[in-house]
Amino acid sequence: MHITVVRRVKPLPLGNVLIPSLSIITGILLASLILYLLMNIPPSQFFTYVGEGFVSLETLRDFILLTILGTALIISFKGAVWNIGAEGQITMGMLAAAYVALFTNLSSSPILGKITMVVLALILGGAWGLIAGVLKAYLSIDEVASTLIMNYIAYYILNYLVRGPWKGKHTYGYIRTDLIPESVCFSTLPIRGITITYEEILLLIVTLVFAYVLLYKTALGVRIRILGSNPEALKAAGVNVKLLIITLLTISGAISGIVGAIQLAGYLHRISYPIETHTPYLGYTAILVAWLSMLDLRAVPIIAFIIGSLNQAGRLLQIAGVGGIAVTYLFIGTILMTFTILRVFSEYKIKLIKG
Amino acid sequence: MNTIIHSILAVAPAFTAYYLTALGHGFFEKSGVLNLAIDGVFYLSVAIAYASAIYTGNPYIAMFISALTASIFGILLAFIVTKLPISHGAAGLSLMFLGYGLGALIGNPAVFKFREIKMANIGFSINIPRTPLTSVTLFMVSIVACLVLLYILKGTKLGAAVRASGEDPHAASALGIDVLKIRLLAGAIGYALIGIGAAIFELVWLPTWQQMHGMGHGWIAFAISLSSGRHPILTMLTSTAFATLLTYQYLLQAAYNLSPEIAKMTPFIAAIAAMTIFMVTPLRRKLSPPLSLGKIFFKEERTL
Amino acid sequence: MKDIVLKVKNLTKRFPGVTALDNVNFELRYGEVHGLLGENGAGKSTLVKILYGIYTPDSGEIYIDGRKAVITSPIDALKYGLALVSQNPQLIDKLTIAENLILGLTKLGLMTPIRKIYGKLRELSEELGTEIDPNIEVWKLSYTQKQLVEILKALLLGAKVLMIDEAATLLPSNEKRRFYEFLRKFTLKGGSVILITHKISEALEVSDRVTVLRLGKVVGTVRPNEVSIDDVRMMMFGERIKEVSYYTEEQIKVLVRNKVVLDVKDLWVLGDHGTYAVRGVSFKVHRGEILGIAGIAGNGQNELVQSIMGLRKVVRGRIIIDGHDVTNRDTAKVRKLGVGYIPDSPLKHGIAPDGSIEDNIAMLPCIAKGIVRWSYIRSLARKLISEYDIVTPSTKTPIKLLSGGNIMKVLVSRELSIARKLLIAYNPTRALDEATAIKVRKMIKRKAWEEGTSVLLVSEDLDEVLQLSDYVAVMNSGKFVSLIPKERIVREEVEKLMVVK
Repeated sequence: MHITVVRRVKPLPLGNVLIPSLSIITGILLASLILYLLMNIPPSQFFTYVGEGFVSLETLRDFILLTILGTALIISFKGAVWNIGAEGQITMGMLAAAYVALFTNLSSSPILGKITMVVLALILGGAWGLIAGVLKAYLSIDEVASTLIMNYIAYYILNYLVRGPWKGKHTYGYIRTDLIPESVCFSTLPIRGITITYEEILLLIVTLVFAYVLLYKTALGVRIRILGSNPEALKAAGVNVKLLIITLLTISGAISGIVGAIQLAGYLHRISYPIETHTPYLGYTAILVAWLSMLDLRAVPIIAFIIGSLNQAGRLLQIAGVGGIAVTYLFIGTILMTFTILRVFSEYKIKLIKG
Repeated sequence: MNTIIHSILAVAPAFTAYYLTALGHGFFEKSGVLNLAIDGVFYLSVAIAYASAIYTGNPYIAMFISALTASIFGILLAFIVTKLPISHGAAGLSLMFLGYGLGALIGNPAVFKFREIKMANIGFSINIPRTPLTSVTLFMVSIVACLVLLYILKGTKLGAAVRASGEDPHAASALGIDVLKIRLLAGAIGYALIGIGAAIFELVWLPTWQQMHGMGHGWIAFAISLSSGRHPILTMLTSTAFATLLTYQYLLQAAYNLSPEIAKMTPFIAAIAAMTIFMVTPLRRKLSPPLSLGKIFFKEERTL
Repeated sequence: MKDIVLKVKNLTKRFPGVTALDNVNFELRYGEVHGLLGENGAGKSTLVKILYGIYTPDSGEIYIDGRKAVITSPIDALKYGLALVSQNPQLIDKLTIAENLILGLTKLGLMTPIRKIYGKLRELSEELGTEIDPNIEVWKLSYTQKQLVEILKALLLGAKVLMIDEAATLLPSNEKRRFYEFLRKFTLKGGSVILITHKISEALEVSDRVTVLRLGKVVGTVRPNEVSIDDVRMMMFGERIKEVSYYTEEQIKVLVRNKVVLDVKDLWVLGDHGTYAVRGVSFKVHRGEILGIAGIAGNGQNELVQSIMGLRKVVRGRIIIDGHDVTNRDTAKVRKLGVGYIPDSPLKHGIAPDGSIEDNIAMLPCIAKGIVRWSYIRSLARKLISEYDIVTPSTKTPIKLLSGGNIMKVLVSRELSIARKLLIAYNPTRALDEATAIKVRKMIKRKAWEEGTSVLLVSEDLDEVLQLSDYVAVMNSGKFVSLIPKERIVREEVEKLMVVK
């Protein structure tokens, strides 16, 4: 019995919907199996948490942030540039926002302060992406390795600041910064139980509009999409591919940086040390969101909601005693794995040859 | 003189850990598979080494289990990307996350078990004692590994097959080798080395564990391997540099009055620096990566 | 039938958009040299690639020595004694000859030291009449030497059926003679040969029998002593006239010759392996003129074309387009001057398969900048579709879903429409069916004649070069060895000049 893989003559119909859905389901099943085998968590309990995640109000926050991040990553992924460094870019964005909020006079004026925070977060996040972009464009250094390593560097930079020069005056023994001034905290919606803010909704809308216009209305967007299909064709057409790659990672990094500002001004209100144990690792979860959306902007909100719910389920499990982040990593891994494999079926079919 | 020898021997655990990991990674990548799963499986192997040592009480058995599990992941990755037309990056990253998750799920309960045992038996420890003899053994092991792999790569059919699969799997297939089988072997051997390296990392060099232990160090080994052109001998030099930096990190800290955070940052910055230096110099041409590294190997072609 | 070594029954193979083999039946006898003739796209290569396990057939059976055979990879094929020697030697450059060849010896274990086969290799190469050092890395070998290695490989693996895919076509004549002598010796010892070539006369001279394929179907099997060259040509091409005229009476116009559009002076360009691929090439192309470059692939044509387009660094020399010095300037500048470019391997270098026709047009900086006016792009796309008969469901369909010929049309039509001053075309009709190829050539000719666009045409299809060009340059080992105006071309002379010593 021989297994051969043959290209389909026509792509699988409805593949764009079928495959992500199947991957999520199989991925969750696989994760629950592993949790049962390793941690003795009965699947029924796991699924209950998953269900709770879907209806929890906390999930809305993840939903918004993952949509923004997913969009940022899709912009990059469409050019086949794998920005795995969103975590680092978020961290740098948070750093920038914290600087404005805690150490400048701008924090006294609500509108100017918030705008400066977001803009500086954009700039620092963008710069973080730019570095990786330059390394890839001019030195062909794989962006996955460089962005991942830079994630760790970003964590340590922020940790150093929080532990050292930025250490708060009113911290009661914890190592963390002071609370940021009330004036620059984002304002939450006046609905009971909901903790999301006006500003992040605004930023969400701006991001989505920006991404849509960029990718589908500008020449830059066409080139990004072609970069993901055939960079050689772009070179022959006369496009400066190196500059394109750098631009791409900068934009992706900048948008991710905004999320750092949102996290700080929206709900954290201060930075605690060490940052690695206090981050929800959305930068990695967003990779899953971007991929599962099949790089289609319209699917991002839907997928972001689903993955956000899973994230929340992970948090609930943490409260139940299982390491929360571990669960997040676990289902990112299982769903990404099932997705990567199932994705093959949209373009190929498996033939069994006897003999 | 004694202190010089002592200082050199002190580097052995870190050196061997990084060297074996980088060596195994480089060998696997020579067969054409882009190995982005390295950090996840490294982290997982560290956790498995820790947990196995606790549950079996024997660090050597733990090392074996660690190598075995890592091997399985290597075989899995090699199989998926060769049998199916799948992006190496996507497959590698999913295994990386899987490794992170499984590692934490295995390590966390083990910490409790460790405390339990420690309360009953204060002398219980999981590590291989750090004596000059251990260090010398570790150096020997590294040298043997280097020579064996060099011989395989340059002098045997297996090595030719591995390099052929990495340069041009289509031509290799046409020349008569089963690229899948070769990559499975490369994955098994390469990752076994990674597993052993991770075990040494945990059991000899840093015998503690908390949830982030070892995360990111797989990427340091990745950078080591890349910046030495995946050459077994050159990798030794780069590994020495990093191992020295990390072993004496605390000295560096004290001497320059650095914050521990800055010190922790240095290996990662060094990793980026090493890769940059390699890419900028003519080394890049002489020790170029396998031509088909990371390329999807798919046999049916269009007639255009 | 005990004298049949290989039999193929009802073999069919389809690719997206084209049926490469249609119910093919074929037999090979012991000790025979069997020629396989047909024009480009007839299916000859596909047939032997299936026999060698590179492709899997959609239906049909293969019998070897009377028993049914399933061949899913070259390893299987080699086990059955079938070996393929192709025009593009599939060897791994960075490995040595011995390292390449030991890979096929499946009986040897993985830990076998490579040195073990040195002796046998030396012995076999002596049999072939040459001397080869098994320890040399393959990238250092010449084309002829690589072909010899391929045959060495087949012998080493004990092949009893040699399938030669156009491999002898490009050898210099004295080596070709030795090659065919060796084939004779091989068959006398009991081996069989399938010889693919498009050179009718050679096939008739060397083969015991000849099978002709056309458009994936077997037209017939004949003995050379029973047919003439014209009979065979008729079988290969049907009733079409082979020589197509690209000139009509109205088109004989007087060219404005005094304006030089492309001026290349003493160009030196490095290849991929650190040696010069282009060695001091100089030429001029005038307005409305077609300069054809003939030559065997790998003699610097690709590097020359890439350097003109700004895709490869020029070490010495100058490139001047329409009075502007574009030496080592970026591709965008060249494109802005109105240069169209049909690159070699269009799927690899010219178009983006996942993009739509609209995307593939809009990616050019000279067409779209800043905000894209999609309505304008769409109208451009529609114009190209109707003018060039491109078959596609819509302007937004990803072009990878179109057939090979239509993908090529997208590329060619796009480049022809943006080329104002100069068109550089590299193998513009490779792998196209005959009808589309003729259309493309007509369009190129019309562009030059009616619009005054200069054309630099590089093609491995010598007929194409000779039919279209006003001047023919022969490129050999990085140099122009000759520059001949159309009226004075003698085909055999050109072929001789192309051969690499």
